[in-house]
Amino acid sequence: MLKTFLLACSLCVMCVGGVNAAETEREPFDDRYCTTCHGADGRGNEGVQAPRLAGMESWYLRRQLENFRADMRGVHPQDIEGIAMRPMATKLSDESIDDIIDWVGSWEYVPAEATIEGGDPARGRGLYGGCAVCHGDRAQGNESLGAPALAGQNDWYLVTQLKNFLAGYRGAHPGDTYGAQMRTMVNTLRNEAGILNVVSYINTLSR
Amino acid sequence: MSKQVTRREFLNLLSAAGGTAAALKAGSALGLLPHTAQAASMDLLAANAASRKVAILGAGISGLTVAYELSKVGYECTILESSLRPGGRIFTVRHGDLIDEIGNRHYCEFDDEPHMYFNAGAARIPSTHRNLLAYCKELNIDLEIFINENKTSYVQDPALLGGKPIRNIDYTTHSRGFLAELLAKSLNAGEMDQPFTDQEAETLMGMVRSFGSLDEDNLYKGSFRAGYAAGGFLEHGVQKDIIAFRDLLKTQMGRQLLSANEGDTGPILLQAVGGMDKITEGFTKHVGHQIRYRSMVNSVEVKEDGVDISYDQDGSRHLLQADFCFNCIPSHLMTGITNNFPSQYVDALKYIRRGNAYKAAFQAKERFWEKDDIYGGISWMNNPSNQIWYPSSGIHKEKGILLAAYDFGDGSFHTAMTHEERIEAHLSDGEKIHPNYRNQVEKPITVAWHRMNHMLGCSARWQRNRSGWTHEEEELYHALQQPVNGRHYMIGDQVSMHSAWQESAVMSAQWAMTDMDRRLRA
Repeated sequence: MLKTFLLACSLCVMCVGGVNAAETEREPFDDRYCTTCHGADGRGNEGVQAPRLAGMESWYLRRQLENFRADMRGVHPQDIEGIAMRPMATKLSDESIDDIIDWVGSWEYVPAEATIEGGDPARGRGLYGGCAVCHGDRAQGNESLGAPALAGQNDWYLVTQLKNFLAGYRGAHPGDTYGAQMRTMVNTLRNEAGILNVVSYINTLSR
Repeated sequence: MSKQVTRREFLNLLSAAGGTAAALKAGSALGLLPHTAQAASMDLLAANAASRKVAILGAGISGLTVAYELSKVGYECTILESSLRPGGRIFTVRHGDLIDEIGNRHYCEFDDEPHMYFNAGAARIPSTHRNLLAYCKELNIDLEIFINENKTSYVQDPALLGGKPIRNIDYTTHSRGFLAELLAKSLNAGEMDQPFTDQEAETLMGMVRSFGSLDEDNLYKGSFRAGYAAGGFLEHGVQKDIIAFRDLLKTQMGRQLLSANEGDTGPILLQAVGGMDKITEGFTKHVGHQIRYRSMVNSVEVKEDGVDISYDQDGSRHLLQADFCFNCIPSHLMTGITNNFPSQYVDALKYIRRGNAYKAAFQAKERFWEKDDIYGGISWMNNPSNQIWYPSSGIHKEKGILLAAYDFGDGSFHTAMTHEERIEAHLSDGEKIHPNYRNQVEKPITVAWHRMNHMLGCSARWQRNRSGWTHEEEELYHALQQPVNGRHYMIGDQVSMHSAWQESAVMSAQWAMTDMDRRLRA
């Protein structure tokens, strides 16, 4: 772990440019700052609306980091949380993304606590049928379809993202093909009540 | 169309004012004056050998206050600091320093000189903040006057005189003159005598004339108070032209300009000589060895007889077991750290919103403002950069550091920009006051507190609306102020009703220590 950390430091110090031997006394930095927002061991932080990374699939995490970096996510002015995230990813190098994915992979997956109120899981179960095609019966995710696990994710985050898909704040960029699929599928939830119902059902599932 | 105030409406206003005055009877008003007690002197019980371990989470000034005071009476303190430096939002930036804003990390390239620094966080100490000042005295921190309001600085608004910057003194002198003339006209009307005795009316008229620099006919025809257009020393002074009241009313900036020396900025303001982090250094000279840097707290578990804290440092996880814990981790980051706090405590942590103040600074190649009669103080602009601060220190030296922007209310406008976009915005805003600004400044730094690593916000915001604290907010606040099991205290300016000031952080720490002490004595 220590070795990886030092390697990450040296990689990043090189990336920032302009840092030479004469300035070695300058405070070094690395790109392992995810836990500042995403909480201890990446378990999510409602206080800054940063979702759980622990347990997130490496292929999904990579795709989202690359989407943020390429300005394909977090650009719509109403996507408040996405806008907060995008600049964090803008300056990441490929090496830094690799390193972050290794680091995130080292965190233990612990399902998030349910926090939302007002949803009806029974109604949500019916709505979830469409979601299950890609995300799986237990919301465990399906890599071959590019669909991440939903079970165990922070419910407030799922609600925000579904609202964003529904309103077109996420998934509207032409390069975001998976996002475009989600925008089509999310229409079956129709409105906020549908979203609360389906997320309260997802809260009953475990991977 | 603008609305005319009728004489009847004005009378009603006056009698309403009379009603207010009547309510503030001398006795009760005096009774409401704040106490003028000395700064709290901690008189804490010496540590008990069996329970003397203290964990302090965060090396901001509240955490340092706890470490300093408890170390004096024999506690063994350990401070876990997630970032690379002490001080929290006391952040003085100098040559070579890292500005650890996520997504915008950069080093400060200012010249390496003692007066070339920028207080990116705390920058002013009102003379009434006596607890902080007592520590400054005790820790031998040199202080100097911070120049806040400066009448020779500028006011600039695109709506005012086509955007031409005017001196603060022109705005305030003329505004006061016209306001006084209006008031004098109303008072002169016979029916206005009614609310006042002759003596009161005479005193009031004297105040009004003096307030507005009115002539013997109670008219405002300009005033030397605004300075001279020419002469004034070896020759008679030439009065400056008046700016028409209607023109002055085109800007709303009077709200700011006419109340500059009130509230928190009413008392004389001070700063630490050489940078506000000299205060931090004063504390760390005593307790710096207790700080473990780059130590991120992973969990806080309050037990019957103490507090267990797990944290990551140097790529491995550590356990710190303490008898007491004082925690100044920002509330919005504490919600992401595993804990076993009671639900109301967690609700309070989640309730607080994080401020998003934004500051930027330039190095000036020469102190061009001093050639323009400006020594310290603030120019106000009606644009997003909002303020330019001229340094109170380093007068007549070659260069200086200018505050190029300060948005204390909602810094999201600049926060959302790239570093380069922010700099261009400040250049473009600043050159509306100083035409050659773009060529006179260099080496920018920008600090969006919303994105500062290990901080992610500025001062805590408890109130959701302007009308004051709700009952629910007060309950949450008091819940958060109380310890968990008598073992864990949240501290910092976030646990005060007046966040954003060092004094509030110091007082919250003192409150918590006093509470602990009281429980131990019981």
